[in-house]
Amino acid sequence: MVKLDPALLQAVNKPARYTGNELNAVKKDHAKVSCTFALALPDVYEVGMSNLGLKILYQILNDRADTAAERVYAPWIDMEEKMRQNDIPLYSLETFTAIKDFDFVGFSLQYEMIYSNILNMLDLAHIPLWAAERGEADPFIVGGGPCVYNTEPIADFFDFFIVGEGEEVIVDVTECFIVWKNENRPGGRPGLLQRLAAIDGIYVPSFYAVAYDENNMIKSIEPNCSAAKATVFKRVVKNMDVVTFVEKPVLPYIDIVHDRLMLELFRGCSRGCRFCQAGISYRPVRERTPEKLRELAKTMQAATGYDEMSLTSLSSADYSCLGMLVEDLLQDFHEEKISFSLPSLRIDSFSIDLAHKLQQVRKSGLTFAPEAGTQRLRDVINKGVTEENLITAVTAAYQQGWKSVKLYFMMGLPTETDEDIIGIARLAQKVVDLYREVKGKRGVKVTVSVSCFVPKPYTPFQWFAQDTLAEFQRKQQLLKEHIRDRSIHFSYHDARTSYLEGAIARGDRHLSKVIYQAWQDGAKFDGWSDQFKYDIWLAAFEKCGIKPEFYSQRQRLQTELFPWEHVTPGVTKEFLWRECEKAHAAELTEDCRRGKCSACGVCSSLAVKVVDWGKMND
Amino acid sequence: MTKFRTEITKGEEIRYISHLDYASLMERAIRRAKLPAAYSEGFNPHMKLAFASALAVGVTSDAEYMDIELTKPVCQPEFFDKLTAALPPGVKLIKARIFEGRHKALMAAAELADYAITVPLQGDFAAAAAAVQAYNAAAEVVYTRNMPRRVKEIEVKQYMQEAVAVVQQGSELQLVMKIKITPTGSIKPGEILEVLAQKFAMPIAVASALINRRGLYGEGKPLIDLV
Repeated sequence: MVKLDPALLQAVNKPARYTGNELNAVKKDHAKVSCTFALALPDVYEVGMSNLGLKILYQILNDRADTAAERVYAPWIDMEEKMRQNDIPLYSLETFTAIKDFDFVGFSLQYEMIYSNILNMLDLAHIPLWAAERGEADPFIVGGGPCVYNTEPIADFFDFFIVGEGEEVIVDVTECFIVWKNENRPGGRPGLLQRLAAIDGIYVPSFYAVAYDENNMIKSIEPNCSAAKATVFKRVVKNMDVVTFVEKPVLPYIDIVHDRLMLELFRGCSRGCRFCQAGISYRPVRERTPEKLRELAKTMQAATGYDEMSLTSLSSADYSCLGMLVEDLLQDFHEEKISFSLPSLRIDSFSIDLAHKLQQVRKSGLTFAPEAGTQRLRDVINKGVTEENLITAVTAAYQQGWKSVKLYFMMGLPTETDEDIIGIARLAQKVVDLYREVKGKRGVKVTVSVSCFVPKPYTPFQWFAQDTLAEFQRKQQLLKEHIRDRSIHFSYHDARTSYLEGAIARGDRHLSKVIYQAWQDGAKFDGWSDQFKYDIWLAAFEKCGIKPEFYSQRQRLQTELFPWEHVTPGVTKEFLWRECEKAHAAELTEDCRRGKCSACGVCSSLAVKVVDWGKMND
Repeated sequence: MTKFRTEITKGEEIRYISHLDYASLMERAIRRAKLPAAYSEGFNPHMKLAFASALAVGVTSDAEYMDIELTKPVCQPEFFDKLTAALPPGVKLIKARIFEGRHKALMAAAELADYAITVPLQGDFAAAAAAVQAYNAAAEVVYTRNMPRRVKEIEVKQYMQEAVAVVQQGSELQLVMKIKITPTGSIKPGEILEVLAQKFAMPIAVASALINRRGLYGEGKPLIDLV
């Protein structure tokens, strides 16, 4: 058991990040279980504790009497320094067990810019960084989460990956491990990996050989072991009402990023926005019933005493029974003064009415995501939102008393021209002017937040060349010049982060040495703008003789074999190409949830169906 | 409307949480206990809770006090059992007392805090005892508090209720400090340790000190006994 000196804890910022003991944390005697699982998120406590996926896995694993799951997050810079000085290994928050002593260490892969933290955590845990160097006494390092549709840049650091939704497959993995362990670990580490590779949704990168041509283009990706499948399809939960959800979330003592209950209404989103990887990778839409949701809400609230609940989903306003559910929840929790929030508002007056209803207790700002500044470009990305939609929604919001609106956009989208960038400023101005028309006075605050587009695998834009750094910066400047109204606050992302993210997002196995080099040279917490060390990353690419542009700024051919094609969410390449061509023609595609099936291939390849209770009740 | 004054603890498990965190922890516990707490009016309703003197991050306590207002009458045993069952690790409910009418707010009622401190000895006990003796004997001692934008000079001795006591226990020292809380200010036990180490050359590892508040008093009585 790791012991921490009070002097050490007194010397670091927010020591409660490192001391555990939260309500609902599960502490088990490791001698009395057959499998121990450290669930890691490679960012600080406040971020890690906000992750829904890990909360679900924590519940599922700890529901088993034979398994102990514990949490571990990345220590902040100050704590890391103390740990290294005092030779304290990375430890879990439940039993203060060294991470090295767990059977599995599972990393949640939320976005590319936290990869350096994974290496740092392995190093702090005294676990060999490269999978090939791990021995029989080391834990198995497993990854899962949104980034799992191209893990090639970090493939060499992981023993295996869980592809898709983890609820069922994590149980398969645990049981497979326990059987192997009880048989006295036949075949050692490779022995277990071979058994795991036979499970649907498990990707063991060392079982695949990648061949490149003289230009470093991929020639082939083939299994080099009979246990490995040619293509690994994601796992998907068919019935969201039956699968285990969070019942007793660990209740933090300190403020975390999402310090509220998360009620997941449904999984998947089929609106078909062409830039969106989640829109493809979480298909198809599967709703929970309103009855189940009310029951879950009651259980979670009783277990925590939270006074805030977020109705989460990729596009919560699309929940078919939302109106009714909201009424019921407001009724159910009337006495407890619970406030509810919808994190993703659709741009229509239905959403505004709902938001108004939900904010009866507390009032905050409203956020909309038109994503692009002109109708043409919104059609290119299949956003399916018109200026009229936005005007109607914002008018309704002003009438209901909102005085602050946040608008999200992206720049660097395919086919984008300066007209489209200036269009963002024009649209924001209209939203400002609308306030005076509706309310007859000044006093609105409009925030325009613009991110730099990063093309992602398994989207219709996966072939597309990302804008150069200079182009992003020029467009940011251009937009700045066109925003003149003082009621508009303009914020934009550091384009350098997006430039790197772009290279890693569509990178191949060659990038592991770049990530290793960058970590060795001090890269960590790259997603934190105050910690991001761009120069270290550029130098790391250079030292390894790799150009980031090869991965991010190259228009790829239709026929190119991508590094990620052997691991798939089930969508066909033909569908993505069709969508890519429709994008260039600015043609829309319907939402398959209520409209026509667009033959993306997910339902058929995974034998799963759309679950929409509103439609079924019609 | 029913009001309860409670005596609760802040244990080792939650030593490193802040006063604000402690308040929100109690709020959530009260909601889990399904006690009919009263809320303030307005867009941002807050549970009507009041605490006595704030406790620093890193300090535990045997005697914290919290007043809570309920909208419906709840009898003492029911209140005690429900809240006890809902408390997280590190908090114990020691006493709960129903009260009526107007009383001094907890914050204003607290006049004296009693601390017990365990701190590693880094030299011989005689030197440590001499340092404490010199401190106790001094008429005035000035501590320089570093604030975010400025430094503040504070005369410390005015806040001492009685002499600091020290005994040795193996490689550690046990100190007892009784510190006055006044409308114009007070001093933290950790700050007195700093003064002892810096100005009186007391051989102790200040950063490793474990501080525990043993009691909080008003009019010479524990705050629970004021209602």
